[in-house]
Amino acid sequence: MLQFFKKPNFNIVGKGKIAFIVSIVIIVAGIVSLFVQGLNYGVDFAGGAKMQVKFTESISAEELRSMFTEKDLGNPEIKSSGENEYMITINANEVENSDDLLKEALTGLNYSILQIDKVGPKMGYEMRYNSLQAIGIALLLILIYITVRFEFKFAIGAVIALLHDVLITVAFFSFFQWEFSLPVLAAFLTIVGYSLNDTIVVYDRIRENIKIHKGKPLKEVINLSVNQSLSRTIITSLTTFVVVLILAIFGGQVLFGFSIAMVVGVIVGTYSSMFVAAPILIAWEHRFKEKEKKDKKK
Amino acid sequence: MSKKLIWRYIIVAVLLAWAVYSLVPTLQYERLTNAEKIELEEEGKLIDLESKIIKRGLDLQGGMHLVLEVNVPNFVKNIAQHQSRAYYDYMDKVNAKYEVSPEMDYLDIMLETADEDSLRLSRYFPSEERKTDNKSVIDNLLTETEHAVIRAEEIIRNRVDEFGVAEPVIQLVGKKRIIVELAGIDDPQRAKDIIHSTALLEFVLLKDAEYTQDIISRIDAAVKRINPEDISQIDTAVVSNTTSADKEISVSELLGITEGDASTADSSVLVDENLAADKPFSALLRNLGWDIGVPVENYYAVNKILNDPEVKRVLPNDLRILFSGRTKEVKTNDGGKVKFYSLFFVNREAGMTGEAVKEAKAELGSVSSEQMGQAIVNVRMNPEGTKTWARLTGANVDKRLAIVLDNKVQMAPRIQNKIPNGRTVVEGFANLEEAQDIEIVLKAGALPAPIDIIEERTVGASLGADSIARGVRSMFIGLLIVALFIIFYYRGAGTISIATLVLNIIFVLAILASLRATLTLPGIAGLVLTMGMAVDANVLIFERIREEFLKGKTIRSAVDNGYSRAFVTILDANLTTLIVALVLMQYGSGPIRGFAITLFWGIIFNFVSGYFISRTIFTSFTHGKKPLNKLSI
Repeated sequence: MLQFFKKPNFNIVGKGKIAFIVSIVIIVAGIVSLFVQGLNYGVDFAGGAKMQVKFTESISAEELRSMFTEKDLGNPEIKSSGENEYMITINANEVENSDDLLKEALTGLNYSILQIDKVGPKMGYEMRYNSLQAIGIALLLILIYITVRFEFKFAIGAVIALLHDVLITVAFFSFFQWEFSLPVLAAFLTIVGYSLNDTIVVYDRIRENIKIHKGKPLKEVINLSVNQSLSRTIITSLTTFVVVLILAIFGGQVLFGFSIAMVVGVIVGTYSSMFVAAPILIAWEHRFKEKEKKDKKK
Repeated sequence: MSKKLIWRYIIVAVLLAWAVYSLVPTLQYERLTNAEKIELEEEGKLIDLESKIIKRGLDLQGGMHLVLEVNVPNFVKNIAQHQSRAYYDYMDKVNAKYEVSPEMDYLDIMLETADEDSLRLSRYFPSEERKTDNKSVIDNLLTETEHAVIRAEEIIRNRVDEFGVAEPVIQLVGKKRIIVELAGIDDPQRAKDIIHSTALLEFVLLKDAEYTQDIISRIDAAVKRINPEDISQIDTAVVSNTTSADKEISVSELLGITEGDASTADSSVLVDENLAADKPFSALLRNLGWDIGVPVENYYAVNKILNDPEVKRVLPNDLRILFSGRTKEVKTNDGGKVKFYSLFFVNREAGMTGEAVKEAKAELGSVSSEQMGQAIVNVRMNPEGTKTWARLTGANVDKRLAIVLDNKVQMAPRIQNKIPNGRTVVEGFANLEEAQDIEIVLKAGALPAPIDIIEERTVGASLGADSIARGVRSMFIGLLIVALFIIFYYRGAGTISIATLVLNIIFVLAILASLRATLTLPGIAGLVLTMGMAVDANVLIFERIREEFLKGKTIRSAVDNGYSRAFVTILDANLTTLIVALVLMQYGSGPIRGFAITLFWGIIFNFVSGYFISRTIFTSFTHGKKPLNKLSI
């Protein structure tokens, strides 16, 4: 039998404080970054026209840009997306004229349009709104589900853990200014599901062990549970991590945003189910008991 | 072997049979060459096959996705009357408010502002309704915008044939939007121009029966000249397909004004086969009383003949041959149903165009009129139109006049008498809905709907093919690495889990084919992700079995305990992801929904193959005649 750990007995819960500090630092830095440089919204949410154009002869991004500026056709964002291939993004105010703008700017050049993503400003606004609604509803449903299946304190722990995961992933998107598009949003919601999957497996063990080891302090029971599910957590995370990493490397540009969000999410999700979700239970219990004591004193 | 196990085998066998059955058409289709596809299309069988394969999203096959929305501000501007200083001031206010909060409904803002300023909207938007309070006027405007959208949809539907794409999607979403999806188009600009240009509504006189019969004979002769063998072959195939069709024709009957008595089934087969050799074009047509019917299966063949240069050469210049915009379902003698297009032979020149229509309204005929209780459309012409209309109807009483929208005949009523004052009643509808359809068409000339493209996503065909290649490659590499790792770690048990993982993917593809769901690029990503997560169920189970085994249990009870104890965990853990998948399905747009669908089914089949089938395989080893004495896990 091949095993990563013969009899794992790490003091994982004891590392809660260090984990707490690490998480808080990243999240605070993420929030600062959100205020300073914000998220790099793609055309899905900001509105605009993104066109992937392939040229037959070689041309530089600078030359392309000057073709727009010289004819006074605005200053679109131009990024290379392959050999003689560029992403040209025209902002929301000019969406309606984007076809003409492109045609006029590129007259005399030989090119073919590989892809167009065009979203009117109103539609972008609507997508932002709908997305927030979707996230809200998903979180609410999950909270209800876990409350029904476990106890409320588990639900609180799980939701804090997944908020933590989403916040950290958002922080990464803000730091690196990766484009935030619809597929990325789908990835975020999947991270929510995935992170919960991990958290629930640990919680499930805790629920089971609380019944088996009745006298033991909660802290020990939780630590035992985390250790017992350690092999599983690592194997599953590893396989999922591998497939999303492959997707990020080989899946092409369209899937890159989605895959990179998943890569970050899988790592953070695994970390949070062990170092965030479990310790929160103890913290909650701690507070609750202190309150009980105070109540008794009264 | 226990009874329970036999049941398990049966369920697994049924699932596998279903998966294979669902995926065969897709595999068949993938192996077809282009030439074979064209051949199948001529036989009318391609549509049938295409309806059974996994549908590829536009991002994979290349194509265009458009969301169109009626531009309410422009629409209101177009129909407002008696515009005055007060009206402009009012509209400036409304527009300013709309600018600030675009999420509000434009008409709501109009109502609110009008009430604030105590402005009577009926002054600018007069209607025949009795109520003239602002609320009623706004309600009326709302209905008008909704009609404008339906009209635009109708117009686009008519035009989509021009692109010659397979399975175009034209869908009304809510009351303001239309989604148009065209697969594999190579000139998006042209497509947008065609969709966006103003509709052409015409009133055109039909040719009379003898003339039409003569033309059909000419086409028959021309077709025989072109390629006697080839065409008759195609036709026989189609004709023999439909020999049992209802009012089978004989040559003389084809355009006979009276409906021919149906000859017996046997003789009609004979007639048709003779006809196919002798009159290859007529053989494709059917007599539908007043109209010439084209069975849906023959549409392609008829269209091809009519567009053949040889055939075009024999047709007179003042003739247009048009199809009906919609199909009509007719019951056959043996109780089946056949769908027909109608074919119309009309003048090249329009008697009148749609701009002449001032107003059209579908309603039930009033008590005092001849059409009491029947569905009718009341039409009024503008002053200029009234003159032309009087001349046209006066000179052609008893002839049929086709209402043609973008070269598709919507209806061809008979002119009963001269209409001197422009007030026209169109009758002959089965119900009010049919009349409303024509009302919408007739308004196309009077009220062109301002429709904006608010979202466009176009993917070139080469990029789509590239995406598939990348997606499939990622899937194989992922599968390979996961398989190597799991088999290395869990040995025999690992092999079982990889087998169930592969089954999981096959099941998801099978359900996509069965449900006619669309596979998109994010959908492939969902499949890849499923692979990562599907292993999870097995890991949970195996870790449990190991634990039980290390506690000193027998192999058999370790396996049984492992499976049953892991079940609750697997259920809880997967249900949350299932919730997310459902939310995404509900709120996501096109590609995202594709992701949600594969994720959703991936999880469902994870229970089926990752738990049920894997347990079946495991139990058949541990509960076999020769119990295992070593557990390879």
